[in-house]
Amino acid sequence: MSVNLTCKLSDRHLDRGQGNSQRQLAIAVSASASVDGNNAPLNLCLVLDHSGSMGGQPLDTVKRAARDLVDRMYLQDRISVVGFDHKAHVVVENQAVDKLESIKEKIQSLKASGGTCIDDGIKLGLQETSKGKDGRVSQIFVLTDGENEHGDNDRCFQFSRLATEYNMTLHSLGFGDSWNQDVLEKIADAGGGTMAYIPDPAAAGSEFQRLLKRVQAIGLTNAHLILQLQPHVRLAELKPIAQVAPDTIELPYQTEGNAIIVRLGDLMTDVERIVLFNIYISPTSYLEANPTSTEIPILSAQVRFDIPTLAQVNTLSTPIAIAADLVQDYQPQIEPQVQNYLLALGKYRQTQLAEQKLQEGDRAGAATMLQSAAKTALQMGDHNASTVLQENATRLQTGTALSEAERKKTRIASKTVLQVPPNP
Amino acid sequence: MITCPSCAHPNPDGAVNCEACFTLLPIVKNIHCPNCHSTMLSEAKFCGHCGFKLGEPMSIPTVLPIANSMSNSLPNETTEDNTMGTGSLENLSSEVANVHNVPENYLAENNSPQIQELEEVAAYLEPIPHPTPQSEPDVSANKPANASTQLQQFAASLLHVQTNLNIEIPAHLPVVHIGKPNMVIPPDIDVSGFPDSDIVSRIHADIRAEGGSFYFEDTGSSNGTYINNLPLPAGNRHKLRAGDRISLGKGDKVSFVFQVIE
Repeated sequence: MSVNLTCKLSDRHLDRGQGNSQRQLAIAVSASASVDGNNAPLNLCLVLDHSGSMGGQPLDTVKRAARDLVDRMYLQDRISVVGFDHKAHVVVENQAVDKLESIKEKIQSLKASGGTCIDDGIKLGLQETSKGKDGRVSQIFVLTDGENEHGDNDRCFQFSRLATEYNMTLHSLGFGDSWNQDVLEKIADAGGGTMAYIPDPAAAGSEFQRLLKRVQAIGLTNAHLILQLQPHVRLAELKPIAQVAPDTIELPYQTEGNAIIVRLGDLMTDVERIVLFNIYISPTSYLEANPTSTEIPILSAQVRFDIPTLAQVNTLSTPIAIAADLVQDYQPQIEPQVQNYLLALGKYRQTQLAEQKLQEGDRAGAATMLQSAAKTALQMGDHNASTVLQENATRLQTGTALSEAERKKTRIASKTVLQVPPNP
Repeated sequence: MITCPSCAHPNPDGAVNCEACFTLLPIVKNIHCPNCHSTMLSEAKFCGHCGFKLGEPMSIPTVLPIANSMSNSLPNETTEDNTMGTGSLENLSSEVANVHNVPENYLAENNSPQIQELEEVAAYLEPIPHPTPQSEPDVSANKPANASTQLQQFAASLLHVQTNLNIEIPAHLPVVHIGKPNMVIPPDIDVSGFPDSDIVSRIHADIRAEGGSFYFEDTGSSNGTYINNLPLPAGNRHKLRAGDRISLGKGDKVSFVFQVIE
C-alpha cells in the first residue's frame, strides 16, 4: 500500500520583479487501493448517548441504526459499544463481529434516562477501543443529542486529541437540535474525524451507513504531511494550513527544524484529503544567487504513515518537489481547481467569522459575512450551501433569530459540500 | 498592508487572498490627486479634498441585465450573480438609450430584498478582475457570453430623474452631504443647479457608507425627504437598495434613483 500525493500551485507564474507574492498550494493525499482490494480490519466503537432526552423514538432509531451497522461489518472487524448518560458503562465489550445476535441484543437493552456527560463516554470508549487496536483501523463514533451538562467540554477535546496520539480517530454525530455545534465540531476536528448531523431520527440509519462506508475505505493511518520549505518561502501568519476536502478543518502544525509537519490522520482509498497551504514567496534572494534561472523551487513534500495491514509504522513516501516559473511580464496562470479549494476555505472562514460576529452581537456584520459566504458557495457551485447561507443572512437582516436546527445546518453547510438538498 | 474589504484583516503586501477569510483582495494603490496632491485611492472618482474629478467619466451604469434577471426565486441568483461577475459593463453608448427605462424597472422589482442585498455585497466584493472571471465561467448555469474581462469597481451613483444626470457618490468619503452651498456643512453633492432646487434645504441629507452598504439620512430639512414615496423622518437611516427612489422635498420635484455601478 502506498500514498498518492499530488501538488498544485494556485498560480504557476511568479513575477520576477515583485518582492513578495502570495500563493496557495493544494496538496492532495490519498491511499492507493491495495492489491487484493481489502483494507485493514476495522475496530469500531460506538459511544451512544442514552440520556433522558433520547427517550422513545430517538433511542429506538439509534439502536436500530447501530444494529444495521453491525450487520454491514465483516468477520475480522471488532466492535464495542459504550453507553453514557451522566456516567458511562460498557454495553458491548470489544469483540469480533461474529456473535451478531448477542451483540444486537445488548445494544437493544439500552434504556433512556439520566443526564449527559460526553467526556466520560469518550474516555470509556477510548479504553474499550484500545483493547483491539493493533493491526486494525480504530474508529470511534460519538453520538449525542444534547449539551454536556454533567461533563466538561475541555476534557472532551483532551480525550479527542489523546485518541489521535494512539492512532484512534473520533467522529462526532449530533442528533436532533439541542447539541452544541461548536463543541462537536471541535471534538471531530481534534479527533481527526468528521462531524455529522442527524436532524431527525429517520436520518440516523443513513448517516451511520455513510460514516461506515467512509471508515471502511481507510487504507493508511496516522498520516503526516512533511514539508521542507525553501528559504525564500514562508507560511502566512494567520491560519496558513487547512484541509478543504472532504471536510474543511483548520489544521495545526508543528515545526521540527526546517520541516513543517501537519497531521492528516486516516487516508482513504476512495476520497482524497486536500490540504491548502497559504504561502508567501520572495524571489529576490533566490534571483541574486541564480539570476538567469527561469524556475524557482518552492518546497518538497512527503507523507509519513502507518500501514495497518502490515503493522508497519512511520513509512515515508517519496518526496515530491514543487517549483514555480519566474516570468518577466507577469500574466497569471490560474489553476481553476485550486481556485475552487480557495473558495471552499473562504466559505468556511466567512461563515465562522459570521458566527463570531453573531456572538459579539453584531447582527448586521454577521449578515454581511453570511452573504459573502453565500456568494462564495455559489461561485464554487455549492448551490445547497448558498441557499442555506443566504436564507440565514436574510433572516438575520429581518431581525429574527436563527433556530438551533438552522445553525447546525449552517455549520455543516460551511464545513462540507452538502450531499443532499436540505429538507424543507 | 492591504486591509480586507470583507473582514478588515490586515494582510501583508503581495497578498492576493485575505489570510482570514480568503476573499479576493483589491489591488489598490495610493496615488496623488493631480490638483491638490493629497493622497487618494487610485480607484476613486473624485479627490476627497478638492473634489477634482479623476479619470474617465463612468456615467451610465449597466442596470438592465440585473433588472431583467431579478425575481424572487433564488435559482435566478446564479444568473444575476454571474452577470455581474463576468463584467456586465457593456458599451456605454448602447446603454444611454436604455437608461430612461431603468427607474421603472427597478421600482417594479423593488421587493426582493435578499437578492438586492446579495447583489450589493457582491458588487462590493468584486473589485478586481483577473482571478475571478476564470473561476466563475466554470460554475455558471446561464452565463451571458461576455468575451472580454472588464475591471469591476464598487461604486454607487444617484441618477437624477428629472434631468437624467448621473451623479457618482464619491466612494472614499465616509459621509456624503447633499444640499446646496452654505457656510456650515458644504455639500459634497450640490443640487442647486437642478430645476426646482429651491425645495431642497442647504443641509438636506447625507449618505454614509458602512460595511459595504449605503445609508441615507435626512439631516433636518425643511421640506422633508421621501424614499420610494414614503416619508423618511429626520435622523432615521435608511439602508439604500439599488433602485430606491429618493425624493428631496415633497411632490417628487427633485428625485434620485440609487444605483449600484459595476
